[in-house]
Amino acid sequence: MSATVATPKREKPGRGGTVLRGVVLIAGALVFLFPFYYMVIGSLQRTPDSSVTGAFPNIANLTLDNYEAINSRIGLLTGLVNSGIFTGGVILGTVVFGMLAGYTLSVLQWRGRGVTFALALLVQVVPFQLLMIPLYVLIARDYGLADTHLGMILPFLINSTAVIIFRQYFLQVPKELFDAARIDGASELRVLWNVAIPLVRPALLTVILITFIGPWNEFLWPFLITKDASLQPLAVSLANYISSVAASAANPSGAVLAGAVVLAAPAVALFIVFQRYFTSTDIGSGVKG
Amino acid sequence: MTATTPAAPPGAVPRKADRRGTASPGGGRRKRKLLGENPLGLLFSAPYLVFIILVFAYPLVFAVWMSFQDYFFAAPGAVVDRPFAGLDNYARVLQDPAVWRAFGNVGIFLIINVPLTVILSLLLASALNRAVHARAFFRVAYYVPYVTASVAIVGVWLFLFSGNGLVNNVLGPLAPDPSWLINSQLAMPSIALFVTWKQLGFYILLYLAALQNVPKELYESASTDGAGPVRSFFSVTIPSVRPATVLVLLLSTVTGANLFTEPYLLTGGGGPNGASTSPVLLMYQRGIEQGNPDVAAAIGVILVVLVMIIAFIQRKLAGGDES
Amino acid sequence: MQRRMTAAAIAAAGLLALTGCTSGGGGGGNTANAERGDITIWYSNNEAEIAWGEQMIEAWNADNPDEQITAQEIPAGSSSEEVIGAAITAGNAPCLIFNTSPAAVPQFEKQGGLVSLSSFEGGDDYITERSGELAEQYASADGSYFQMPWKSNPVVIFYNKAMFAEAGLDPEAPALSTYDEFLETSRTLTEAGVAPFAINPAPTSEFFQSWFDFYPLYAAETGGELLVEDGAATFDSDAGAAVADFWATMYSEGLSGQEQYPGDSFVDGESAMAIAGPWAINYYGEDVDWGVVPVPTSQGISPEETYTFSDAKNIGLYSACENQATAWDVLQFATSEEQDGQLLELTGQMPIRQDLTGTYPDYFEANPAYEIFGDQAERTVEVPNVANSVEIWQTFRDGYSSAVIFGDDDVPAFLSDAASSIDDLVAQG
Repeated sequence: MSATVATPKREKPGRGGTVLRGVVLIAGALVFLFPFYYMVIGSLQRTPDSSVTGAFPNIANLTLDNYEAINSRIGLLTGLVNSGIFTGGVILGTVVFGMLAGYTLSVLQWRGRGVTFALALLVQVVPFQLLMIPLYVLIARDYGLADTHLGMILPFLINSTAVIIFRQYFLQVPKELFDAARIDGASELRVLWNVAIPLVRPALLTVILITFIGPWNEFLWPFLITKDASLQPLAVSLANYISSVAASAANPSGAVLAGAVVLAAPAVALFIVFQRYFTSTDIGSGVKG
Repeated sequence: MTATTPAAPPGAVPRKADRRGTASPGGGRRKRKLLGENPLGLLFSAPYLVFIILVFAYPLVFAVWMSFQDYFFAAPGAVVDRPFAGLDNYARVLQDPAVWRAFGNVGIFLIINVPLTVILSLLLASALNRAVHARAFFRVAYYVPYVTASVAIVGVWLFLFSGNGLVNNVLGPLAPDPSWLINSQLAMPSIALFVTWKQLGFYILLYLAALQNVPKELYESASTDGAGPVRSFFSVTIPSVRPATVLVLLLSTVTGANLFTEPYLLTGGGGPNGASTSPVLLMYQRGIEQGNPDVAAAIGVILVVLVMIIAFIQRKLAGGDES
Repeated sequence: MQRRMTAAAIAAAGLLALTGCTSGGGGGGNTANAERGDITIWYSNNEAEIAWGEQMIEAWNADNPDEQITAQEIPAGSSSEEVIGAAITAGNAPCLIFNTSPAAVPQFEKQGGLVSLSSFEGGDDYITERSGELAEQYASADGSYFQMPWKSNPVVIFYNKAMFAEAGLDPEAPALSTYDEFLETSRTLTEAGVAPFAINPAPTSEFFQSWFDFYPLYAAETGGELLVEDGAATFDSDAGAAVADFWATMYSEGLSGQEQYPGDSFVDGESAMAIAGPWAINYYGEDVDWGVVPVPTSQGISPEETYTFSDAKNIGLYSACENQATAWDVLQFATSEEQDGQLLELTGQMPIRQDLTGTYPDYFEANPAYEIFGDQAERTVEVPNVANSVEIWQTFRDGYSSAVIFGDDDVPAFLSDAASSIDDLVAQG
């Protein structure tokens, strides 16, 4: 980096900067990818090998048994469908209602705005363990939603983190853009749809990606709300499988890792599909249009 | 709740006038005073507000109420005596050395985790934002630990940081004794590193979204003014993403204060000797395992108040985001 | 922001006033009703117990078309108590749970979640006839039963025969009876390098971990004393000190590990011995050629006199059940001699029944390796059935962890401090 500092007059970052950036990115990627790599390797081992050499593939010790064991014990398809309903419901609720709330919290002036934002912050601050049993009683007994997908979705329906994120990115958008649209006579919904949403597309994708993970990996709540195996999402079936697997599997830790791979794979796949939409929206072009 | 009822004494008449939308200046002003400049905001936010009230407010208020009672959960219909206990639960909590220790532990955690998270995620995000090659690959790579379920990731971390794990093998004679996770000095820093590592992908995503909204013209004009990449990072990037930084600060503080899974799984319930117990882990032990939800609620209320104070100070220091 | 927070809190408080406190009122949940009809039960989700549960339900449902059983699985681990606790509070617990931890029973009872089995006609007699003297440990303070003693997993020492042979030790008659022998054998094993640790009980801080290191040895050393008896902790004694010192030596000499192992250290060859009950045999499978001996004592008393920890799981009848008469019939059906035989056959876990080896001679003849468990099952010690049970064990574990596992405090101080805190907790209940 010192090389680039020494030549501040260059218009573009020097070769040194580019190389350094590449090194940082690659080192970061290695550190970040390692757990996933290790998970995959561990899930393919016939007998567990927790030594350092175990982190490298050994042809003699590779097998798909751990995956077959999972497939024979739990209904992967049912689990996937239930996870899809649970996660899809949460994402839909968060994107529609969360974006509306985030927009109003940043762009519009109305009474109660401060209190609403304070509530959204408060939701962040309060640990779930404090609310778990009262919430369960409320939803299972008072709302009568035990053993339903709705009861599963309800506590997560609008992700408050997402509301805060939406608000933050709407705040970044120059106010003049909205005002210009309003002067043209656009209704508030139209301003939101035609001006605001296109501008915060990166934020929208961020929100979908981070919202996805919560319900996708959530284990305790769906399990509390339904013991009915035909309604349980994949995370619950896999956690059940993990807690009881060792009795039948030849390689218990391999089975656990295989379960984790099965759970992580759809999330990673979705990310790979969607990340290419995760591209820059030029604010400048927004001004022109 | 009072905000929705008309404030002016002659209630019915002006309300009717409002609904008709006639241009009575007095009614318009009153309406504006009542609902703010843009009452549509309330309408758009209504689903979120209803959701919060239905799902969140009741259990929360219930928990706060519980912390002032001698309370435990009972079956519907069971006759139990649950007297008002005043501040007894709080007194009990404040006299418990384990509680003080847990709050101290989380303090250590935040001191390591929050600055590290902000710096690393901003650095990696801005490197990633300006990278030309293989952006997709890096994005996916950074996202992976965040997606992966904790049970599996904890297995990997144990593999790395256990006594004869990879890290100690690499360090050789420099390896700490006792090893990382059973060393009462290092257990909490190890957990802080773990959480930073696991959550970083999330914060990188936040910063990336923010960086993509920074107008390119700002960089162009900075570079015509003769600013190098380092200076334009400090003079353009950092100020432009300040709202995102405020958000990252807030969220990492809050996530850290609610630390539970990692000491539960990684150091086997807060070991060694409670050196990695967190307040939420204590709440879980006291409230759910041991059946004293009143004491757990008192810990929770103290935690929430402390976090709000920290968040408030951070907001002041980071310069806020609305001006 | 503070002002807004206050406003938010006031708004929410108003809400509480509206919804109010929904619990309270109604009759007590402790005495049984006489209704009949369909019932729901929960059982543990491990494969062997599911197989037992399915055949039991099939047999019952075939004979009782008007009183059908539906079953659901719950996890075997600690989260099962969370799930049951939440279900009790919401009033949607099932009729029977075949996975009720005795340590959780006092709390469930206090919550009004359990039906007293003594309130059924002939309830007490049924329990004591089946389980004999062992039943007494499962009675609550007032003498009535809120749990059906069901099955135990008497804790013993498993050892790896191949490793013992490799270290030059006799794999058929290992010297593991006294503490001195046990320590000497452990040193030989680690010095020979056959495994990193001689024995590796989980060194973590969960409240129940002391059931698998201190408590079985304490039961053996005292000839069957509980951790708490007659409202006072018993372990601040010579016997308690002997057991604690033994484990402290194991840890300080590095014969046992201070760090949790991700996986089963016995299966993975990380330790030459394990301390566990017969449920573990399914885990060990064909990978390990294992042998079993009773837990050691300071003087090495004979196996026929050695007590150990039971690690029992019991059956609870929950007050939310609408058809409690049917539930009580199913409870008796599931613990009949025939179903207990099925349980033994399918799971290898020991029904809590008098003269177990005499009742099922064929099984023990066909499975000689299980005979020691059948025999040990007659001499087991349960966790004390007292209020604040989990808190008592957590207090014990925290002190134990610091003094014994990590050697940061001294053992006598730990025993007396923990004993006095536990006395206070018992008195509060």
